[in-house]
Amino acid sequence: MIQLVDVTKTFDRFAAVKGANMMVPKGAIYGLLGPNGAGKTTLLKMMAGILRQDRGTITVDGEDVWENVRVKQRLLFLPDFVYFFPHATIRQMADFYEQLYPSFSRGRFTELRSAFSLDVDQKIQQFSKGMQRQAAFWLAFSVQPDVLIMDEPLDGLDAFVRRHVKQLLIEEVAEREMTVVISSHNLRELEDLCDIVGLMAQGTVRMERDLNELRAGMHKIQVAFRGGFPSELAERLDIVHREERGSIVLLVVRGEKRSIEETVSSFAPLILDVLPLSLEEIFVYEMGDVVDVRETVVG
Amino acid sequence: MSAKRLSANRAMWTQNVRQIGWIAIIHLLLWLAAIVLPIGLSYSQYDPKVGNVPQWKNVYYISNGFETLIAWLVPILAAAGVLRYMHEKRSADFIHSLPIRRTELLVGQVLFGWMLLIVPLAVTALAAIGCLYGLDLPWPIGAADVGRWFGETLVMETVIFALGIVVGVLVGQSVMHVVLTNIFLVFPAGIMVLMFSNLSLLLYGFPDTYYLSSELDQWVIPIRYAMLTNQALSAGEIGMLLLLSLLFFGLSIWLYERRPTEAAGQALAFSVLRPLFVYGVAFCSWLVGGFYFGQVEREWGWIVFGYVAFSLVGYAIAQMAIAKTWRVFHRWKGYVGFAATMALLCLLVRFDPTGYEQRVPALADIKQVYFGQSMMNWEYPDRMGSSFEEYDQFLRTKDNIKAVRAFHEQLVHDQPLPSRFGNIQPIVIGYVLKDGTRLIRRYEVPIEPYMPYFQRIMGSKEYKQQYYLLLRPGGYSPIRQVTIRNVETGWAEVVLAEPKEIESFVQALKQDLWNEPVEDIIGGGRAWQGNIELLQSDGDSFSLPLDEYNLHVRQWLEERHMWEKIEK
Repeated sequence: MIQLVDVTKTFDRFAAVKGANMMVPKGAIYGLLGPNGAGKTTLLKMMAGILRQDRGTITVDGEDVWENVRVKQRLLFLPDFVYFFPHATIRQMADFYEQLYPSFSRGRFTELRSAFSLDVDQKIQQFSKGMQRQAAFWLAFSVQPDVLIMDEPLDGLDAFVRRHVKQLLIEEVAEREMTVVISSHNLRELEDLCDIVGLMAQGTVRMERDLNELRAGMHKIQVAFRGGFPSELAERLDIVHREERGSIVLLVVRGEKRSIEETVSSFAPLILDVLPLSLEEIFVYEMGDVVDVRETVVG
Repeated sequence: MSAKRLSANRAMWTQNVRQIGWIAIIHLLLWLAAIVLPIGLSYSQYDPKVGNVPQWKNVYYISNGFETLIAWLVPILAAAGVLRYMHEKRSADFIHSLPIRRTELLVGQVLFGWMLLIVPLAVTALAAIGCLYGLDLPWPIGAADVGRWFGETLVMETVIFALGIVVGVLVGQSVMHVVLTNIFLVFPAGIMVLMFSNLSLLLYGFPDTYYLSSELDQWVIPIRYAMLTNQALSAGEIGMLLLLSLLFFGLSIWLYERRPTEAAGQALAFSVLRPLFVYGVAFCSWLVGGFYFGQVEREWGWIVFGYVAFSLVGYAIAQMAIAKTWRVFHRWKGYVGFAATMALLCLLVRFDPTGYEQRVPALADIKQVYFGQSMMNWEYPDRMGSSFEEYDQFLRTKDNIKAVRAFHEQLVHDQPLPSRFGNIQPIVIGYVLKDGTRLIRRYEVPIEPYMPYFQRIMGSKEYKQQYYLLLRPGGYSPIRQVTIRNVETGWAEVVLAEPKEIESFVQALKQDLWNEPVEDIIGGGRAWQGNIELLQSDGDSFSLPLDEYNLHVRQWLEERHMWEKIEK
């Protein structure tokens, strides 16, 4: 479990992170969403023990991350621009990781060789940007960390590799209960991956939501009534959004699916359809109070 | 340290070998070229008939300048190499995300860097000893010399490396790292030179050379290294340098624990150092400006221009380095504040609240005065009387004390600014007071307007007597032979060997010396008609010019028809 309490970081006079709070349960995939400049990278680097917070605490399973070898041996950070030693090959980097991380698995490294199909003896710097990122994933998965922190990791990967990496990530989480924090400026990228989404803007985590709860707690329905929409129904439902197309009314409603259906049915609707709600739509309605950020993340 | 932790360091070391191992190779090749190669060459060029064994008094004689350069630059390169990881943003992030504690990381890097120094030195030492004993030649140096070289060079390289490590932790860029390390190497001596020479601009009579002449250059480690040829490191020096190295290493660990990772790419790692850096650079440039124009122009307009122009440029460059952009011109307020402060400071010194400039001791307090053109005999009175013409003297007669004091008072009153043209004479005036206090001043004086003062002192019997070796009582051994040579050809035209003749010739010569005008002593630009060489009984000889003022000598020679030989 990763916990951030009131974390603040200032560069010179610029406050990049201002009193951020965050909680990532063990085995969860946490998506950190936010526009560019929201402070995501700074927050992740502090989580990885690279930067030191000015104020607040950052703990993994109750232990401070900063200068803590025990925690850092179980934690791996994948930056937005991956780094390898100059002239190093994948094999050399693997040797390096093996000496530093007790959890590094040779077996896993060999196993993943077919998945990535990169030449282990070629200099990584000669690879394309996307291949370098794949190499970084390969090494990261071979380290088998308990906590994997990734800054915009899927940028620059083609759709095929992206799907493949996501698949591996989900497997890894399922098998080893790895905890993952992954940042992005695009909600769609995280949609089919995350359990929890945190929204970051102007240096703070504005909200944190469990996606399954969100999905279960908000629904889009399409209804039509003889003689117009009963005003009494409007009072009994927690309506977030309402749209009328002729006699058909489109509602986004908070609440459990069954109870919504029951409530609506009791008014004898001509039509009652429950439509799927995309994560994007949920966010649009959920983030009513953070309108300023909505466009960039959802767009 | 557990086995796992060792493995973390091993991982870093493996990586270091790949990335900066070449520094050790370069280091080794340079030392081999500087020391072992010349030994080999000497051996191959040796000819037993000629007996051309190299004249090395120690290892530093083999290739002194080159050796100094290696011992100076390679440790800085090594420090830059092992700390490069924290000066580049991506590698800094990467390395600091790894499960290694900072102290452990830095100690590992420092040890590795030190290996880059010690291993090539040891290999070179062994190779040199091997050559000296393997190649059969009567070598002037042996294993002990090589041992001394190894020890001293290791100490010097270590302290430069240690300085490089502290500076590396303080900065965030490799270029800055190298530049600042070099600046810090010369800083202790450099700042003294600048401060003292600027004080001499502001305080009339301040004897900067007096404070600068002593062992200041030994504080600059590369210069001290070059001096190892004739001056081995003392045990005290070795202890101090090693202590300094330990201090630097300790300090760098302390600093590194507090160093923000995001400093990578910044000029300075700690933001508190920025104003110190900016105003420090501005201050030093201010001093450099004054120093330069003080030496070159000696005119207040130019000196003030030097202060302002240099410090402004220094300030702007420092700001650019910090801000990493050219556009720093909106930050002029800081400079205005700085310039105002400096102007106030300079004015304060210039107004001389302690009365430094005007201080002329009361006649009754003075035991003796010192008058000359350098500090040499003031600092080392025991060397007095060692040269044939002793310009710098202590004077004790009442007349001379009065004369020197009067000259001093006049100078303090006039404060003549020496112009760049015209004849200038450096004057050093010193006082030893009856209570033991000493006071010394140095001036640059235009000769012509002050000639009467020069004449009163230098024309005195006391001064002249001490000035010429020949006039000093017991200053020389009996003269055995007098040779007068043609200046151009060097041929001996007149040779006197008969004691009576010599005696009467020397009397004539002394007459001329007593009569020699002060202008001639100061000016010195006289046309030599011949060269009088006096051979003493102890085998030493000394020469005097034969010139237009040698009227008695000329008459003496003419009477004996020897003048024609010289004339022709």
